[in-house]
Amino acid sequence: MFSLLYGLWKYLFSKAEFHVLILGIDKAGKTTLLEKLKTLYSDFEGLPPDRIVPTVGLNIGRIEAHKSKLIFWDLGGQLGLRTIWEKYYEEAHAILYVVDAASESRLEDTKSAFEKVLRHQDLQGAPVLIFANKQDLEGAVSAKEIGTALNLKELEERESMAMAISAYDGSGIREGVTWLVDAMRTCKRTQELKQRADAAVTMNMHVIKDDTSVWRKERIKNRVW
Amino acid sequence: MGIFLSKLFSQLFGDKEARILVLGLDNAGKTTILYRLQVGEVVATIPTIGFNVETVQYNNIKFQVWDLGGQTSIRPYWRCYFPNTQAVIYVVDSSDTDRMATAKEEFHAILEEEELKDAVVLIYANKQDLPGALDDASVTEALNLHKIKNRQWAIFKTSAVKGEGLFEGLDWLSDTLKARGR
Repeated sequence: MFSLLYGLWKYLFSKAEFHVLILGIDKAGKTTLLEKLKTLYSDFEGLPPDRIVPTVGLNIGRIEAHKSKLIFWDLGGQLGLRTIWEKYYEEAHAILYVVDAASESRLEDTKSAFEKVLRHQDLQGAPVLIFANKQDLEGAVSAKEIGTALNLKELEERESMAMAISAYDGSGIREGVTWLVDAMRTCKRTQELKQRADAAVTMNMHVIKDDTSVWRKERIKNRVW
Repeated sequence: MGIFLSKLFSQLFGDKEARILVLGLDNAGKTTILYRLQVGEVVATIPTIGFNVETVQYNNIKFQVWDLGGQTSIRPYWRCYFPNTQAVIYVVDSSDTDRMATAKEEFHAILEEEELKDAVVLIYANKQDLPGALDDASVTEALNLHKIKNRQWAIFKTSAVKGEGLFEGLDWLSDTLKARGR
C-alpha cells in the first residue's frame, strides 16, 4: 500500500524523465561520451577514457540537467550488436548519434547505420542530435561537414542538429545537452510517449490490486526455508 | 555496531569485496568457470547439489563467488543467496539451443527479484568451443536481453575449458563495480 501511494506521489510530483539513446558505430566514442556526461553533470567521476573497453551490452547513465532527469542508454556499436538497437527505440525520447569526425574511412558505415536508424518506424518524430566527436584530434572535420554527409538538411519530420564536441576533453557537450532537453520538451513524440506510459500505469494499478492475494499465495507456496 | 565498524574498516583499508552469484541452468558450466577463475585449470566436476564458494582476487577486488546448483529441483533455493549480492554472472550453454527458452525464463525471473534489483548483470555465452554454439548476438536475442533497461549488463563469449573470455568479463565487472562504488 505504501509503495502504491509513494508511486502515485512520485508520479505526480517528479521531474520530467527522458530516455536518450546513444548510438553510433564502434569506436565512435559513445561510452567515453557517457562517462564524460556523468563527470560533468553528476557527483561522481566517470571512468577515464583509458579504462573504457568496447561495450558489449548496455551502459546506463543517469544525470539531471535543466530541471529534467535524463537517462542515457549506451549500446554497443559493433556490427553484430547493432541488431539490438531497435529494441530500445520504442521507449526512447531522442537519439544522440555519435560520429568519429576524424575517421574518414568509416564515414560510409556511419552513414548507412544512421539511415537505418532514421527509417525505423518506432523512432518517428524523435529529435536527433549528431555529435561530430573527436574534435581534439587533428584532421577532425566540422559539424557542418558531418551534417551534410549524413543529409541532415533533408530531415523535415523531426528536429535535428549537428554539433562539434570532444568526449575526451568535454568541449561542446553542455551545449548539446541544452539543445537536447529543449528539443525533447517541445516535441510531439514526448507527449505521445507520456500518454502511453500513463495508460500503462493506470492498467498496472488494476493489476496490482488484483494480484496481491495471488502473489501472497505464491509466496507461501514457494517458501524454501 | 560491530558489523558497521568492520564494514567501515574494510572500506577504509581492505581491498574491495564483492559478492557475486554464478547462476544458470544445470550443465551450463558454472562450476568449471568458478574453478577456472580460481585455480586456472579445468577440474573434473560433478553436478552441483548445493553450492561451491571460492574467493577470487582480481583487479584489486576480492570476488566472493557463489556457484549454485542449477538443476530444476534446486533452483528455488537460489533466492536464499540473493541478499547483499552486487553482481550476477549468468552462464548459458550456447550450444544447447533446445533449452534456450528455459534459460531465458529463469534469467528474467532472477531479474525481477527485489533483492537483486541493484545487481549488475554479466552474461557468459559459454561453450563457444562446441560446434553449433550461438554467438553473442544470437544469445542476446535468445535471452531477450534488450528487455533490461534499468541496469547495466554485458555479454561475453566464453569457453571455460579453453579459458577464453572469462577474465575479459571480470575486467568489465570490476570496472563497473568500481565505478558504482565511488
